[in-house]
Amino acid sequence: MPETKNLDLFMNDPIAFYDGSITKMHQVPRDELEAQQRLAMAARFAEHREGIEIVRNLADRIDVKEVREFDDMAPLLFAHTTFKSYPAALLDGKRFDLMTKWLAKQTPHDLSRVETRGCDSIEAWIDELDAHSELRVITSSGTTGTISIIPKDDAGGFYSMRLWRLFLFQEFGVEPDPNEPLPAVDVIWPNYASGKLGHLRMVELLKKEFTGGDESRFHPLYSDAVSTDLMFLASKLRAAASRGELDRVKIDPKLLERKAEFEAMEKRRPEELKAFFERMTTQLVGKRVFMLGTYALMHEIAREGLDRGVRGVFAKDSAILTGGGAKGHVLPENYMDVIREFMGVDRIQEGYGMSEVSAMHWACPEGRYHVQPWTIPYLLDPDSSQPLPRRGRQTGRAAFYDLLNRSHWGGIISGDEITIDWDRPCACGLASVPIEHEIMRYSEKQGVEDDRITCNATQEVHDEAVSFMREFEA
Amino acid sequence: MSAFRIPAFLRGEVVEEDWTQFGGRGGSEAFEAPDPQRLVERLPLPSPADLADLYSISFEEILDVLEALGQALDFEKNPHVQRAYEAAQVASNYPAAMLRQSYVTLPYVFDRESLRELAEQRIGIDYLEGWVARRLRDGRELRVRAFGARALHVPAGNGGLVSAITLLRNALTRSDAIVKVPSNDPLTAVALARTLADVAPGHPLTRHLAVAYWKGGDTAVEERLYRPEHIEKIVAWGGFASVKHVTRYLQPGLELIALDPKRSATIIGPEAFESEATLDEVATRAACDIGVANQEACASARVIYVLCGCDAQGLERANRLGERIYEKLVGLPEHVSTAPVRVDRELRDHLAAARLTEDWYRVIGGERDEGAIIVSQLDSAVDYAPLLSGRVANLVPVDDLKQVTDAVNAYTQTVGIYPESLKRELRDTLPLYGAQRLTSLGYACHVTPTMPQDAIEPLRRMCKWIVDEECDPERVFPLWKQPALS
Repeated sequence: MPETKNLDLFMNDPIAFYDGSITKMHQVPRDELEAQQRLAMAARFAEHREGIEIVRNLADRIDVKEVREFDDMAPLLFAHTTFKSYPAALLDGKRFDLMTKWLAKQTPHDLSRVETRGCDSIEAWIDELDAHSELRVITSSGTTGTISIIPKDDAGGFYSMRLWRLFLFQEFGVEPDPNEPLPAVDVIWPNYASGKLGHLRMVELLKKEFTGGDESRFHPLYSDAVSTDLMFLASKLRAAASRGELDRVKIDPKLLERKAEFEAMEKRRPEELKAFFERMTTQLVGKRVFMLGTYALMHEIAREGLDRGVRGVFAKDSAILTGGGAKGHVLPENYMDVIREFMGVDRIQEGYGMSEVSAMHWACPEGRYHVQPWTIPYLLDPDSSQPLPRRGRQTGRAAFYDLLNRSHWGGIISGDEITIDWDRPCACGLASVPIEHEIMRYSEKQGVEDDRITCNATQEVHDEAVSFMREFEA
Repeated sequence: MSAFRIPAFLRGEVVEEDWTQFGGRGGSEAFEAPDPQRLVERLPLPSPADLADLYSISFEEILDVLEALGQALDFEKNPHVQRAYEAAQVASNYPAAMLRQSYVTLPYVFDRESLRELAEQRIGIDYLEGWVARRLRDGRELRVRAFGARALHVPAGNGGLVSAITLLRNALTRSDAIVKVPSNDPLTAVALARTLADVAPGHPLTRHLAVAYWKGGDTAVEERLYRPEHIEKIVAWGGFASVKHVTRYLQPGLELIALDPKRSATIIGPEAFESEATLDEVATRAACDIGVANQEACASARVIYVLCGCDAQGLERANRLGERIYEKLVGLPEHVSTAPVRVDRELRDHLAAARLTEDWYRVIGGERDEGAIIVSQLDSAVDYAPLLSGRVANLVPVDDLKQVTDAVNAYTQTVGIYPESLKRELRDTLPLYGAQRLTSLGYACHVTPTMPQDAIEPLRRMCKWIVDEECDPERVFPLWKQPALS
């Protein structure tokens, strides 16, 4: 049995536990790892049952006092909707006192020093949370008139970035040389320069972790910040359109005052895009960089570059990270070749992750995403949410229990359909659990419904409205 | 392997050839129908003049045929209806007991005196039978007659009733119908048509009915069919996408009668809490509005506003009413309502999250997907209200009558209200916000075709209102004698 001290390290500092080697992380025999995970799961559950009110409430309601086996955790996994379970009316009414109360039940962190008097926007409230608590919440836009608010903290954020660095600059099977520190690189960020949206919160972390502290080596596409209040409005508009209530939407006058500012941002975009491209193909040529973006975005940039006759832009040992699905875009079959040719790098890495879970699962050369040792993967029956057997080849709804994250409950059910072959070891040679490359969102799968007609306006109206918004945004 | 086949019905002829496979919903319930590409040219009436035979028959004769059709729809004896029942079990979201009930009651839709009342109330039989003359103040004699038209119908598939209403509206207005079969009610329209052909072979009513399946939005079929030379009107029932899709074919000479996708609301006054007996009755009525048709109908209750106030006592009352409605809901007999066949996953996730958000929501039931009542603990509906389905309703306590207008918008059809005095108080205001039908609590899904629908008169819209004027220069001032006016 692993010792308690080791368990503490495994749960809280897997980098140290595995000597900073990604190879070691993924070479632990399955039995040994699972024994360790069970102990860590029991310990983290006990800690969070004590420290997080909604976990305690749920555990009390279903009468779970401890968890021993993986499947004991299944009824304690939260739907992703938990992070938007507050009434949107609270944001509309600027009741940030009540929002803080809601948030306090989702996290073990102390929010008693947070003072919401004087908060007149979501941004202001989040800034106050930043200032007077350990939380660094991240938001994501939704379609039901709300935004998800996930209570992350600084420590967790930086740790994730340290992990990213390991995976970006090491190779599976090659032990790191302790005398050769990980390189500082230029970071290419084809996105907005800041904001509270999930991925934008990463900006500060990326700057500190990757550029060696030199901010001039951070290269965002757009110089502006994205306003959470504007994202909330967009979400409200979508919901209102789906309900036939666009006439009822009231825009916060404070936000409306900033309309000219938002329009100016929009106007600047083509110029900034041009300048960004310019910088990439001149100033950054031959440099060792870290660039990340979705498949579609990467492909678009690469295609544009090749069309201009630019290829092989970056140093061969640059780190390129992509993922995130095609997000409604149709990509040509050779899109990866196009990206590779433009960038001129040896490898392009792919990762599978979600804001709610602290792990990014990196793809091996076989294209399978290997589950990080500090997360326990679950496959659930999409209809009953019951866990599927942990043997044979199974396809189901992905859920994870995150042993590492401390700022909120780690048991999350995703909206993704994934496949795992539990018994067959991955041909890449790693011992960790491999998730097949093909991942689909259930919401996309539902799109196959064709001409089922009822007189009742529900989901399809809603979807229609969302696509209307997309057209509107485009 | 196909779960069932949808033959086409072409004005008396049943087409069972050129079988082509279609996906069904989600691909799991594949079915077959004759290749629509080869069928499409045979669907429309060859010439508008072919409508003439409908004027060789009297209104009473139309009633004779419809009455005979109703009698022949006897579930126990009619194999077409039995087949429709079987296919609907595969293709729809309804459980067998409820489907059976709907087919057993189908004949009553064709009750002779009810049809007479429908035609008289909604159009006026005189206008259908001949020219109705009126003398106008300017001296002319105006004669008006309601003619039928060539129409294409896209009926909703949640329940066979819509197909039956489509058929009888077509017959009463002496119109010609091409019915596009909905994939979630694959065989009812065909069963009705085949039974009509059995009871009235070669009859003009049979010759003016065509039924076929093609995939909604299949432009290769629709572009050849949705043209003014073939049809004059499209009657499209709900489904936002389907109604919106149809609009692309509209042009002068081809109009849309849209029976839009709708949602409904419920408002309960403080009188509900006057006594235990009243609370019980109100709960039963509300449960009925949620549960009937398993909440799949446009008239089904989803968000229920309760004028009980938002203070502690108000919340206690709302919670008590919620408990009682839940009790009544799960107690409904299975031919009226059952646990849903399919549950929306997203909604289930929201319910799970709401259970953990006790400050704002109390979730009663739903652990077994049997249906649930979410009682808001503030005066605002759940943000995922558009997803409410599968017998999940949201009770919202409000302080003020003014807040109930929130319940009503452009997509609102029915508003179920308790008590009657509150309805009378609201009936002149709610329509301004979009409400189309106000009804007694408990009757939201108890509908009759003998009333306007979706704030329009579909039967009148299906007719062409033709004018014959007689202007005698002795009575009507002739323009040619008009002097210059300075």
